Amino acid sequence: MKMPIYLQEPPEILITPEGVRTDGRGPHDLRPIKMTVGVLNRADGSAYVEWGGNRILAAVYGPREVHPKHLTLPDRALVRCRYNMAPFSTEERKRPGPDRRSIELSKVIREALLPAIFVDKYPGTVIDIFVEIIRSDAGTRCAGTTAASLALADAGIAMRGLVTALAVGRVGDWIVMDPNHDEDMYGDVDVPVAFLMEDKEITLLQLDGPLTEDEFNEALDLAMKGADLVYEMQKEALRRPYLVVERSVAGRES
Amino acid sequence: MGSQEEVSAASLLREYLRDLASRGERKDGRAMDEMRPIEIRSGLFTKGEGEAWLSLGDTQVLVGVKVDVGTPFPDTPNKGVLMTNTELLPIASPTFEPGPPNEDAVEMARLVDRAFRGSNAIDFEELVIKEGQLVYLVMVDMYALDHDGNLVDALELASLLALKRTNVPKVVVREDGGVTPSGDFFPLPVRETPISFSFAKIAGRLMLDPSLEEEVAADALMTMVVDSQGRVCSFQKRTGAFAPEEIKRALSIAREKWPQVAERLGLLEG
Amino acid sequence: MSLLVKNREIVLPGQLLAKGNLKPGENVYVDGRGFLRSSKVGLVDLSRGEVRVIPLRGVYMPKVEDIVVGVVSRVAGNTVLLDINSPYTGVLLLPRSREGRRSGRRRTFSVGDVVLAKVRAFDGASNPLLTVEGEGLGKLSGGTIIKVNPAKVPRIIGKRRSMINLLRDKIGRDIVVGRNGFVWVKVRDLQSSLLLERALRLIERESHVPGLSDRVTDLLEGGIAAELPNSDYREV
Repeated sequence: MKMPIYLQEPPEILITPEGVRTDGRGPHDLRPIKMTVGVLNRADGSAYVEWGGNRILAAVYGPREVHPKHLTLPDRALVRCRYNMAPFSTEERKRPGPDRRSIELSKVIREALLPAIFVDKYPGTVIDIFVEIIRSDAGTRCAGTTAASLALADAGIAMRGLVTALAVGRVGDWIVMDPNHDEDMYGDVDVPVAFLMEDKEITLLQLDGPLTEDEFNEALDLAMKGADLVYEMQKEALRRPYLVVERSVAGRES
Repeated sequence: MGSQEEVSAASLLREYLRDLASRGERKDGRAMDEMRPIEIRSGLFTKGEGEAWLSLGDTQVLVGVKVDVGTPFPDTPNKGVLMTNTELLPIASPTFEPGPPNEDAVEMARLVDRAFRGSNAIDFEELVIKEGQLVYLVMVDMYALDHDGNLVDALELASLLALKRTNVPKVVVREDGGVTPSGDFFPLPVRETPISFSFAKIAGRLMLDPSLEEEVAADALMTMVVDSQGRVCSFQKRTGAFAPEEIKRALSIAREKWPQVAERLGLLEG
Repeated sequence: MSLLVKNREIVLPGQLLAKGNLKPGENVYVDGRGFLRSSKVGLVDLSRGEVRVIPLRGVYMPKVEDIVVGVVSRVAGNTVLLDINSPYTGVLLLPRSREGRRSGRRRTFSVGDVVLAKVRAFDGASNPLLTVEGEGLGKLSGGTIIKVNPAKVPRIIGKRRSMINLLRDKIGRDIVVGRNGFVWVKVRDLQSSLLLERALRLIERESHVPGLSDRVTDLLEGGIAAELPNSDYREV
């Protein structure tokens, strides 16, 4: 028997009339984001993302042989995805193992990434994507999708382009970028979105709560603006290892 | 990468490592009693009350400690509760599959559990809120992130570090019997520094901190935990067979290495 | 029309490489508007009107005529299965005929054997067929295998085999590089194998920076005692 010791109380106000949020951001600001690829040795591709208070590891294995065999698709790669939250990723310890939420998110993330992968290049194989949330702080599915897209590119898998995800939301009358924990818990509407950045197609879109048509359009436009910023960080993260090596070689030779 | 790689290349590898071992050499150039470098990553990674991200060579693990309040076990009404859990995440190795902990994971979790119990490292009596009714539950969740051998030592070292860093949120008991955090914290009373040492035996030679290849090629594997006074606090022969002299020799190596590892972890006092 | 990026520049999946009538090569695709884009992280290479991207990471996808190093994972009758460090298992069919057996090299294979083979057929629908008929092909005895990133194998072999010849001159004759990223090596002592491993890791890490063979030569001449270049980026 255990009992909760962390009782959470809603903040008095989520956003001021001037548009200042509980973490001090303006309505259209992202939280601080940091990305690194190639953090794991065994995985074929990997990425680590810090996004606000989120800490996420994504790893990709494959294309590799399919086990069990009967799942094999003769003309393309099977893509599997597992979204998993660590027991220590939440205030209250989370029981290990999948629950309904993580099963749904696994599917949603896989479907967000699938249009980006040239699956027909790898017939009869499987690409396994693992998203591990080691610290959760609102927006894990989007940060996880962004990380997984980096891990796929890091694994050298043929892709149409990178997938970039982030959430937007409504807090009172405000359409806000990248809702934080308070807004996720007590805000009005949360809209996670993912884009295949090559041609800005939407590969993930979920929504809960009422938005007017104008608000919905404003939310999508804001998500697109946010995605452009996150996309730049993804590209920088993928190039960084090679630039670091270049600089270190130059340093050694000078 | 082919998931059968660890199996199919094993016989070739075994022969090569045996050949090296018979000359007192290891594939990565280490001495027989040399551990791989230990690195501790700094930053905030979890929502645990204590945590540690540690690497041992290319092996990486993350341990988070969560503290909750609950009822004690009926047979120890005046003691807090320690629980350990190991997850061999599929991100860590092409051979790890999603699902509930398998026998390797459970063995590692119990081994770490016994390391702390056998050394009486934690003062459980200080974890009582209301005798027989309310105690602190300390839950150690061990995550394998990257498997290049000797996960068990990496997990034990990271758990030790995470427990030593754990701050327990003090609670007050409300009238309705529930609890409310007071806003104060106290350090988890960890009184000992049990350190785990694993050995592989290849061609009759003992090697400390086996790499994945050495584990695959090993004739036998064992893990022992030694405390600050050089006492052996827990022991597990994991695979194969050892001569008594080999076990005694391993213990003396572990005792000799203890200060070095404790210092590396920043846990050497005085 | 010409490239929109510099030749040898590092490009990313989805990145626009060219508009107009350049030919799409390896790891380049044509998008809905007819533009050429990269499908991988890699280096742009333009030659004879064709743009391709040389990948920097990735698993081994078999191609006919590739020479691979495989490890026998199963033997069933005259079918030998090989782990070729790929999503696909290599299949070696041993000759059944008297002729085949008489042709000189009687072959028996057991699990764990290292085999140098050539890809004879691969269509993606079934596992690649291998053959050991050919100069120098067949079992490799003893030694060990070092795994490398398959995408870097062309650099480990080098232009006109220059890199592999350098490694063999300085370290030993018995180094065989499979296109699939398995490098078989049999050397006299541990120091040589450690030196080879260092050289391979250097090539893997630095192949995108010009002047690679000079740096490999320096490493090989400095020997195992030489300071290992520090260019680790795996920092969180």
